[in-house]
Amino acid sequence: MQTRRFETADELELLSASAAVLQDLGFQVSESVHELGLLRAAKERSAQEYGQEIQKALILLVTVALSAFAQGNAIVSIPTDLQQQICASLVARPLDEARREHEVRVLFYRLVWKGDGQSGDQHIPPGEQRMEMIRDPLIYQQFFARLQKSVFLEEQKI
Amino acid sequence: MRSIAVRLALGAALLGLSACASSPPAEQELLAPTDEQTKLRSMQTRTFDLASREEALRGVIATLQDLGFIIERANEPMGLVTAARFAEPNYYDVLGITVTARPQGQGRMLIRANAIYNNEPVTDPEVYRNFFATLERALFIDRN
Repeated sequence: MQTRRFETADELELLSASAAVLQDLGFQVSESVHELGLLRAAKERSAQEYGQEIQKALILLVTVALSAFAQGNAIVSIPTDLQQQICASLVARPLDEARREHEVRVLFYRLVWKGDGQSGDQHIPPGEQRMEMIRDPLIYQQFFARLQKSVFLEEQKI
Repeated sequence: MRSIAVRLALGAALLGLSACASSPPAEQELLAPTDEQTKLRSMQTRTFDLASREEALRGVIATLQDLGFIIERANEPMGLVTAARFAEPNYYDVLGITVTARPQGQGRMLIRANAIYNNEPVTDPEVYRNFFATLERALFIDRN
């Protein structure tokens, strides 16, 4: 899923094509080491989701009603995902001694930060962090489809 | 009145406890070499029959990727690779690893791996054995 083979002898060309594709996808290239064929890129996006917000609102509503009924503070406002950083780490490497064929392996992952919340009288500060790998094959397929096109175009010098 | 007496008693008990806690090591011991360090270094290090640093580092990168690591940094002239892996399904823990490759002369390369789980160094020899076994396989496949 993370790997594709390219029949091109020029690793630098492959790397720059990869960088271009990542840029097209909105990533900022943060690190590149051409001697070892490494590229790293990241982009920041909102992580808010309807499902989470609706859940938060429902729980808030129920606990507010409960607090009013019991005349105490039992208000619960659960922290929801706010911001995320999507990162990519890409490595190109030759597959044979003659370096006629290369392999590109890319890894996408994300860091998610939560907003603030409340549980009774206690305030939950924002900034709780969570990390996960992105395992959706579609994202990898899209990336490689673009890369294949880009490599083809560069080879034909179009 | 009673609550003050209780508090005083509690305070005295806490003082007693803190006096029992072990004192931090003296400053001159902080950087002194220990037996464990030497042992750790020997299991973190292995030599391979490799002529070029580039080949070694590319092998290391491929190995780390096979093991599910995200390559964070690499430096060819320094012979350095840093990578990390989320300890999934635990969303908050990170396993970090730093690998260095140094030429040893006569077509040999010294490879050292340092793993850290959150802020604790990994001292389990099995972890390093596993890493070097995978690396050996990756280098062998590359050559054939």
